[in-house]
Amino acid sequence: MKKVLANPLALAGFAIIAAILLLALFAPLIAPFDPNAIDVKAILLSPSPQHLMGTDGLGRDVFSRMLFGARISLLVGIVAVGIATAIGVVLGAVSGYYRGWVDVAIMRLVDVMLSIPTFFLILAVIAFLTPSIWNIMIVIGLTSWMGVTRLVRAEFLSLRGREFVMASQTLGATDGRLIFRHLLPNSLTPIIVSSVLGVASAVLVESGLSFLGLGVQAPQASWGNILTDGKEYIQFAWWLSLFPGLAILITVLGYNLLGEGLRDALDPRSSNATSKK
Amino acid sequence: MIKYLLKRIFWMVPLLVGISLVSFLIMHLAPGDITTTEASFNPKASEESRQKLREIYNLDKPVIVQYGLWLKRMATLDFGTSFATHQRPVFWQTIDAQGNVSKGMIQDALPITLLINVVSLALIIATALPLGIVSALTQNRVPDRAITMFVFIGFAIPGFWLALMLMYWTGVVHDWLPISGLHSLGYENMSWFAKISDTLRHIFLPVFISSLGGLAGISLFVRNGMLDVLHQDYITTARAKGLPENTVIYGHALRNALLPLITILGLSIPGLIGGSVIAESIFAIPGMGKLFYDAVLMRDFPVIMGILTIGSALTLIGNLLADVAYAWADPRVRRGIAQ
Repeated sequence: MKKVLANPLALAGFAIIAAILLLALFAPLIAPFDPNAIDVKAILLSPSPQHLMGTDGLGRDVFSRMLFGARISLLVGIVAVGIATAIGVVLGAVSGYYRGWVDVAIMRLVDVMLSIPTFFLILAVIAFLTPSIWNIMIVIGLTSWMGVTRLVRAEFLSLRGREFVMASQTLGATDGRLIFRHLLPNSLTPIIVSSVLGVASAVLVESGLSFLGLGVQAPQASWGNILTDGKEYIQFAWWLSLFPGLAILITVLGYNLLGEGLRDALDPRSSNATSKK
Repeated sequence: MIKYLLKRIFWMVPLLVGISLVSFLIMHLAPGDITTTEASFNPKASEESRQKLREIYNLDKPVIVQYGLWLKRMATLDFGTSFATHQRPVFWQTIDAQGNVSKGMIQDALPITLLINVVSLALIIATALPLGIVSALTQNRVPDRAITMFVFIGFAIPGFWLALMLMYWTGVVHDWLPISGLHSLGYENMSWFAKISDTLRHIFLPVFISSLGGLAGISLFVRNGMLDVLHQDYITTARAKGLPENTVIYGHALRNALLPLITILGLSIPGLIGGSVIAESIFAIPGMGKLFYDAVLMRDFPVIMGILTIGSALTLIGNLLADVAYAWADPRVRRGIAQ
């Protein structure tokens, strides 16, 4: 943990994520207005001390909507990655531990899934289901587990040949004990790093879907759909388009910095030479 | 080498069948079909007529039977006709008895997306290489820090947002570039030179947007690859025997650092194709992404399946080309294959 905090990248990422998490968590307390309250007397007001980020075409306070949108973006990102990581760890562990035909079958499935342009697949499924944040989380999760699977499998394959694992096996450890006591804990670092980076790309995918109108539906606010609404008013109300984009940028940047920083700090073999010094 | 190639090409067939099976199942397990969209706009459509429509399109049969029928037609490269847009052929043009040519939807859309992606790839390589090399050679100094910062921002910036901002800035505020479509009015009457420059002006922003993410990724990749190689013993040897620094870097280090890049470029194809949905919808460019988005909204199964299949086939071909190029560039790999 000390090493992580000493890494400037990780620290910056951590600070950004923590700030956004707090804002999202306490959104109802911080938000000056009801995010869905329509006020026809305050349509398209530019940013002012009263409306920090202005108001939208229905007179809703953009700052309040952004705070509640943060909840959606973070929730979708974290749950989707949770699903993907769970699938990836199970399949990767089975594949790397048991090998044989199970391994072949799982790896071929990974090949197939990696060859389909994922965003097309997500788009198709989402359009057929009713767009809701739960469906979005599940679909993003179900289409992004392949990287983790390969990662866990590779770790298991290399760890299985190591002395401490063979020693434990010789002492009569069961499969379960080997997997959960020895192999999995030692594979944790790359899993954590790839999950953190995964949240970043899930946040981007969700905002992209919402932007295309297939994500989070009105009146519920998400950064993507605030931006879509703002698109119509771009000539008279720049603030509607600027702030949600910046928010996505900063959030994704935070997760990427944290992920890369963690990799540098935790992985002695990291190819990023900043950690070698 | 030839044997290896043939084996790889042969393996693409089961992989493609697997891909199409997965896509087909996912498509058809989701609720809703063409009759829920097309007929719901028509108040006169009764449940009875919807059922008839389903029968015409075989939508009433079990999924696995539908897949069998689809696969059987695919064996003759028959992608079928669109449910939604006047029964246009999905893939390639057909000519009816009267000699009327009906152009294929993918036939129209694919070259546009390919053009944008090929130009993007060229731009990515041309920019990411120097950036990565400079970054590695000035490790932890100002240029490296600046490039790394650019890389992180490039990763994080939502493409559609940047697209919107640039479209507004260059198209609305300044009128420097056209903001949508692929051609200007009167394109047919232009000279060939004007045609090319018109198209280039139209694809400038889409290309920029779709290369940004790859640009960031590849420069980081080149940087880390160079740093890894520069710490190898043979680089020390090369320096020790007094070779000029330029020969060491460009002759010895760069060539080895670039090898894995070939694979990465091959793997980035599905991302580029997938990313075309957003860029093409924003800039109203009639490519594969736009076609797919429209097809999805209409639940136009043959078009959706056609695009997924062609997209996946392109990915497989891209990976194959990458592996062949790798073997061509690296004698060690070539020998490994031959054995």
